Amino acid sequence: MLSSSALAESGSELRFCLHSEPKTFNPLLVADDAAETIRYLTGGVLVRVNRQTQELEPELALSWKVSKDGREVTFKLRKGLSFSDGTPFSADDVAYTMRLLMDPELHSPTGDAFRSGSGAVRSEVFAPDRVSITFPATVAGLDRLFDQVAILSAHSPKKEMAVLGPFMIADYKPGSTVLLKRNPNYWKTDSHGRRLPYLDSIRLDIQPNRDIELVRFKRGELDLINSLDSEYFDRVDATSPGLVHDAGPSLDSEQMWFNQVAAAPLPPYEREWFRSTNFRRAISQAINREDLSRIVFNGHARPALGPVSPANKFWYNSRMKADAFGRDASLARLAVEGFRLQDGILRDESGHRVEFSIITNSGNKYRERMAILIQHDLEEIGIKVNIVTLDFPSLIERITHSFNYEAALLGFTNVDLDPNTQMNVWLSSAENHQWNPREKSPETSWEAEIDKLMRAQASSRDPGKRKESFDRVQEIVVEQMPFIYLVNRDSLSAISASLQGTVPVILRPQTYWNADRLTVSAEAGTRGR
Amino acid sequence: MRRKIARHLIAITATVLLGGLVSAVLVRISPGFAIDENQLDPRLNAESLRALRASHSSEANILRFYAGYMNRAVHGDLGISHSLGQPVGRLLRDRVPVTGRLAAGGLALAWTFAFGLAAALAAVRISTCDVLAIVLSGILLCLPAAVMALLSVLWNAPASLAVALIVFPRVFTYSRNLLLNSYSLPHIVTARAKGLSKLRTLFWHVLPSCAPSLVAVGGISVNIALSAAIPVEALCGVAGVGSLAWQAAMARDLPLLVNVTVLVTLVTLLSDAGADVIGYVLSTREN
Repeated sequence: MLSSSALAESGSELRFCLHSEPKTFNPLLVADDAAETIRYLTGGVLVRVNRQTQELEPELALSWKVSKDGREVTFKLRKGLSFSDGTPFSADDVAYTMRLLMDPELHSPTGDAFRSGSGAVRSEVFAPDRVSITFPATVAGLDRLFDQVAILSAHSPKKEMAVLGPFMIADYKPGSTVLLKRNPNYWKTDSHGRRLPYLDSIRLDIQPNRDIELVRFKRGELDLINSLDSEYFDRVDATSPGLVHDAGPSLDSEQMWFNQVAAAPLPPYEREWFRSTNFRRAISQAINREDLSRIVFNGHARPALGPVSPANKFWYNSRMKADAFGRDASLARLAVEGFRLQDGILRDESGHRVEFSIITNSGNKYRERMAILIQHDLEEIGIKVNIVTLDFPSLIERITHSFNYEAALLGFTNVDLDPNTQMNVWLSSAENHQWNPREKSPETSWEAEIDKLMRAQASSRDPGKRKESFDRVQEIVVEQMPFIYLVNRDSLSAISASLQGTVPVILRPQTYWNADRLTVSAEAGTRGR
Repeated sequence: MRRKIARHLIAITATVLLGGLVSAVLVRISPGFAIDENQLDPRLNAESLRALRASHSSEANILRFYAGYMNRAVHGDLGISHSLGQPVGRLLRDRVPVTGRLAAGGLALAWTFAFGLAAALAAVRISTCDVLAIVLSGILLCLPAAVMALLSVLWNAPASLAVALIVFPRVFTYSRNLLLNSYSLPHIVTARAKGLSKLRTLFWHVLPSCAPSLVAVGGISVNIALSAAIPVEALCGVAGVGSLAWQAAMARDLPLLVNVTVLVTLVTLLSDAGADVIGYVLSTREN
């Protein structure tokens, strides 16, 4: 076997797919997966969350300190570093990046994560290697948010194309490929003092079709599939067992919820069902999550309970207990609310048959299959479920604008471990409070309590206190079931034998998080390329 | 002749303008219009979400949007794609050659095999071969374009082969019928009876007599190839106008969809008009 340093000299290219066109190369405006991949591979950050240990580690910053009130962070920077075009890196670049990022007109998702109060963000440069950034209010998990902030050069004429990460954009063919070349000025070295990255280039083929991606991986034209579907996982596993990796449950969840919007075009009795905690909990009890995991995901998913996946080591509340699953338990809970099973049909107190539709996005075979199993489970308690699949824009319109739906089945992609990035989901006034968005004031006491707890965790610097608040939020969510969490999908990937140095993890990007230390053996150059 | 060309130009201009407007109206009234999937991004705050929604406000009044679009298009500005965040003009410039190569390759293959087979069968008239060719053509006619595209992916065949297989049965059927009709014309029957060689009969008598109709089939086959390119590009992952149209439709990307519609309408009408004019010239010469 060749050593890493020997491979570094051999000249090699890593090749994998982006599933959509990157919408931007400006790291401050990244909102989609493809652009995020490019930002991760090219952007230099002050601190980085180690995807394996989930701990924060220094990168461009040698050290940092967050003030007691959580409003200010001071970074001590590495000296003598340069951008890919040779422009020197200094504290001015950090200040410049933060000024651009926090411009209210930019509407950057990365920037919005820092906004906790109104007012300007101040950056102060004390020395070329020392800068402090002050926010108008406490920002929970402030230092970890810098994992997403790729530093731009204040002076380079190449603007965002001058980077501090291991790779730089060398070529872009719209709809076809993005070619990244190694950054000759990348600052990291390996234990032998050899400059990283080992790879010469990364070729990102834009390929929305997952079937084609799999075919090309099998042919040896691709080195990895970063996020693999469970069906494809088993297909590859059957022929080449060593190439697929199941890193365990990811941070992402699949969930359903009922429409509780007061102004929704629903009959009043239906709204009453959906606003009943017992009704929601009874539905949850009737759904067999083990079956969802086993049948829909071929065992590559875990039954979910609450908003945080057990994969999130710090924030998961392990004290929560799930309601007992089963038809009888579900019917007993429904009976408390006056529902009765008559001749195999569930009726409410007024005699209305319990029937509703679940909307989900068309083309997502896993959600379609989950909906079918839920339909079957609820039939057992006399509920008729209709499944409606819609394309994504139509679905979003229904759940965010017209509210013309009864129940929805969707997934939630968690990109951050810290719950602070979920403020816009849990606050009752938030736009993404999906079961009942934009409430003028909390419509239920438990939503008022969640609001209070989320604000408390956001304004605290003490991780223990924050955890305590968010643990209670998780408990309320499990008690009230505004979202009925179904499963946490496993983090699955496929990695060719020629790619060395990979350690698949559950955090994005699962397989190439240590891209600067990956190597592709020279033999790969002869296969399918 | 000039009057004919002028009539075509007027019809093309009117149809393209109307086609663009109809497409804009259809996108505007379709569910999910002005919806961006980033609206579900929990990191975005209320102001950013409002800005995201407001980014489509210029498209709320479709007539005003279309007038503005026409005005800008005249000056070479085709707008910015919402879903891809890039100028539409650049997107089309990058992708038109890809689709052009795909469609041209498919057409060349389809015409070579379909016309070659039809000409050979019409000349030699072996009934077993004729039946086999009709069955093959029938099978290909029944297979959906998506199946052809997936097969080309599985067999690692070029996408133009999928387009060729979609165009082939149409060209074969029309060509075969036209050639058989020509072979049954009295002067060609007489020429064959007098012992004129098969090649001479084909090139001197049969082809000239059916050339205007074949040119018309040529025009239609361009349209078939362009329609086939959309599913083939989308499924085979070819970065052409077809996959762009697919993406634009899925994202309700009004500026992109209007431009793609205008472009496809223009190419379709130009190929039809071109075929019509050439056919007219050929038939005039023959008369």
